[in-house]
Amino acid sequence: MEAFIAAVIAGIGAGGVYAILAVGIVVAFRGSGVINFAHGAVAAYAAYNFDEIREPGRGNIYLPWVDPIPEWGVLQKLRLNNLPVRIHIMEDPPTWLAVFVSLAMAAFIGALMHFLVFRPLRNAPTLAKVIGSVGVFIYLGAVALKNFSNSNRNDAGWWGFDSTSDPYVIPFTDKTMPGSNLWLAGSALVVGGVLYLFFRYSRFGIATRAADENEKGAALLGYSPQLLAGLNWVLSSVLAGIAGIVFLHKTNPSQISLLVVFALAAALIGNLTSVVGATFGGLALGMIASGGVDFFQRDFWGEGVKEWLPADGIRQFVPLIAIIIVLYTRGGKLPVRGSISVGRQPQAPATNNATVGTLGLIGIGLLVSNIFVSKWESALTTSLIFMLFMFSLVVLVGYLGQISLAQWSLGGVAAWTTARLAADGMKIREFDFFANGGPNWPLLLAAIAGVVAAVVVGLLVGLPALRIRGVQLAVVTLAAVVAIEKLVLRNTGLMGEGAASTNPMPVLTIFGSNFGGFNENSNQTDNWKFTVFLIFMVAIVGVLVVNLRRGRIGRRFLAVRANERAAAAAGINVSQTKLLGFGISSAIAGIAGVMFAFKLSQLTSENFAPLIGLGLLAFVYLGGITTVTGAVFGGLLVAGGLNGEILHLHFDGVDQSAINIAGGLLLVVNAIMTNGEGISLVNATAGKEILHGLRRDPIPPDFPSGTETSTADSTVADSLEGAVV
Amino acid sequence: MTDNILETKGLTVTFGGLNANDSVNLNVPRGKFVGLIGPNGAGKTTFIDAITGYVPMSAGTATFAGEDIGSLKPHERAERGLVRTFQSLELFEDLSVRDNLLVAAYPTKWYSFILDMLYMTPKDQETEDRVNWALDIMGLTDEADAMPTDLPHGRRKLVGVARALAAKPDLILLDEPAAGLDTAESQKLGQHLREFLDHDMSVFLIDHDMGLVLSVCDYIYVLDFGEIIAEGTPAEVREDPAVKAAYLGAEAGDVQAAAAEAVVGAQSSGGE
Repeated sequence: MEAFIAAVIAGIGAGGVYAILAVGIVVAFRGSGVINFAHGAVAAYAAYNFDEIREPGRGNIYLPWVDPIPEWGVLQKLRLNNLPVRIHIMEDPPTWLAVFVSLAMAAFIGALMHFLVFRPLRNAPTLAKVIGSVGVFIYLGAVALKNFSNSNRNDAGWWGFDSTSDPYVIPFTDKTMPGSNLWLAGSALVVGGVLYLFFRYSRFGIATRAADENEKGAALLGYSPQLLAGLNWVLSSVLAGIAGIVFLHKTNPSQISLLVVFALAAALIGNLTSVVGATFGGLALGMIASGGVDFFQRDFWGEGVKEWLPADGIRQFVPLIAIIIVLYTRGGKLPVRGSISVGRQPQAPATNNATVGTLGLIGIGLLVSNIFVSKWESALTTSLIFMLFMFSLVVLVGYLGQISLAQWSLGGVAAWTTARLAADGMKIREFDFFANGGPNWPLLLAAIAGVVAAVVVGLLVGLPALRIRGVQLAVVTLAAVVAIEKLVLRNTGLMGEGAASTNPMPVLTIFGSNFGGFNENSNQTDNWKFTVFLIFMVAIVGVLVVNLRRGRIGRRFLAVRANERAAAAAGINVSQTKLLGFGISSAIAGIAGVMFAFKLSQLTSENFAPLIGLGLLAFVYLGGITTVTGAVFGGLLVAGGLNGEILHLHFDGVDQSAINIAGGLLLVVNAIMTNGEGISLVNATAGKEILHGLRRDPIPPDFPSGTETSTADSTVADSLEGAVV
Repeated sequence: MTDNILETKGLTVTFGGLNANDSVNLNVPRGKFVGLIGPNGAGKTTFIDAITGYVPMSAGTATFAGEDIGSLKPHERAERGLVRTFQSLELFEDLSVRDNLLVAAYPTKWYSFILDMLYMTPKDQETEDRVNWALDIMGLTDEADAMPTDLPHGRRKLVGVARALAAKPDLILLDEPAAGLDTAESQKLGQHLREFLDHDMSVFLIDHDMGLVLSVCDYIYVLDFGEIIAEGTPAEVREDPAVKAAYLGAEAGDVQAAAAEAVVGAQSSGGE
């Protein structure tokens, strides 16, 4: 008992950091109405800079971008001036300078986020805002990886603690905890208290609260809501920076960005608006997580439970459960009368004849596969697998409008279940690192079981969607991503020894012939039979999804996406329809995950890491998340896919992290410019206009918009046209 | 008794201590056209919300076709043939007008997606005919392939009614279908509304437009402060002094009635 209480109290250390992060999320939400998924990434970027400037013999900071002008190939010969990225401050700086510089960097990032991302998105629908902040998340993560590299870092943080120094005896017990825990909790209380007073009594705080409640009213009183929003973004980012640099002695900067899950949970406890609620929510979550880990590691559970519930898994389960409880108790099954709509969704037109497109793409796929055999085979299969995966997002996010960030993790669940069930404790290939134990099921059966497992977990992730909508659902699913990673993919009790490092996957054999990705002859993943197999898988699933959209259920999905109240009035069982969408989507994601396993033949949980899932959402959004064609474009764009391979060929040595950086950037641009209709629909519209132009027909006025705005738009357009003529 | 398709007994809806509907007893006989009128904020839309399951009833019962529907979910009530329209538009803006109707017209089971994905769903001519009829009677045939957002407000309103018709209702609940229509459109709508009765359905109408309600309904209930204050044929209701006081207070020139109206105004801004 004493040890348990001690564990609970020791949780105030991590809880303090969650609290500071949560307060930052609250500040940004109040200022701009955006739930910032990239908040942890900002904290991480500041922490990286803090560490880098203090690194012996370096003393540099890195601006939040990379040099886009490469130093190789044709471009080098142009002798362009490179964009400055690294700034040398001084070697071995005093701590106050390091703190100041890294917080200034955070403030700078906050200002950039406001002006470049969230200000342009201020009237955009929910999905575009979510995608915008996910884009920042991916971008900052990839830039940090490039500028700082992912080496292990040991920095003592702002106060120079290391994780064991100054043991502090917890009152009423004989246990100790690191003294730094007190400092962390204390600084959370100070930050929370100062901000509470600041928002309550300062002019700026009062104006922000006024604008939060009534933007027009505040504008009439002479406050600029956009200026207030910008200042709040800067404040929020500085808070993120503080959280990052006080926590450095306990963690690597690369781990900080995903602390956003805890922070979001804490912010939701404060209803996204209460600084006090967020502060105590963060501290409470830290204590619950720490106590929960201790509780489930007790001896009286027996070895079974201890083995099946790894400490990290329990820890990451806490925010997920907290978020679901908080949101579930506040949400209704149907939105109430007069609640705010989510804004215009991207169009999701039905495709009435997919024969030509399907056959054409199969043909092109086979051609590419057979002409450029070994060189492009691996990139082509990566693209094909991700196309397959993106179909799951087209169904769930595009058609049904449920923003889930967890689908790639479900692919991971399917892949790992398959590997586990098909394993027999023998090494499959000589070079396999681990021989995983398992019941030795036939591969096909194991693969089906894997997809079923993905559907089961997917339905569990979907359950909260019955009451939780829009961006809040995205928060839940992000928490689910982290929980699945720790509780399933890295769980050796559940998934066997392989979960700790690599999981070998049996070779896909059809009629005695190797159809897996790995080619024994070349020792590379360039088996053309696998490519052909995938091309037909993509074609079949793609056609199924096209058919889904033009059928009865597809119409019902779109009806639910557009208006849940009206859908219920039209006799649609909204809850059942949502779960159906989660089920279908999870099955497709599971199939894609299993295909990915067949390609790699050795899996690590890195293959299904949270950032990869977000990146995939980014690229399908870029391609056009509402159409199957969009998923095809998205699959071509992904890092490691065909697009990257072509770039690699032409710009000798472009690296894949550059693609993620560009992806994050383009994602933001796309969210702002096209409302998520993406490459496929924008091209289709442009193509239509060009055809009409060639035929000298007037362009039909089929631009979708509300009547009120369309009349206003047309008058503006008319007057512009007049001016041009 | 049994020829009433909808019966409510003592139906009460409470919002934070205020009775938006107070012991409402109301019957809709099968095959008849029943109207509900009342000043702004009298609780008319709340009544429809309550019997379609959008707000919970605090007390009382609602019986549809002999079945107690009090515990059913909104979509279950719609499936049983109790279909409503909305005062605000609430259309599926990403679907064409025809698709808006098809969503409501085609019943599905949870496993229907299998046939759909294989593109083996049989075309149901009866359902298609019904959709075409609904488009036709609302005069929307020419705009069937347009997106709702491209139509003017009045036409969109009619799409909402057509969608309810497509769902094959036994009782259609029309929530102010004429609001936002101009006089000509409103009159034209009135001519069509009586035709609904020829297609095996009963109609329940609430509207502000007294002329419309009095001209099409067989029987009328009058709601004020959440209570039924009068009922009867159009002729009876027109002459009822309580109705005049509540609804046409200014015309009656009665000080008390004017005071009542002021309270009604205050209630409508706070209550609904």
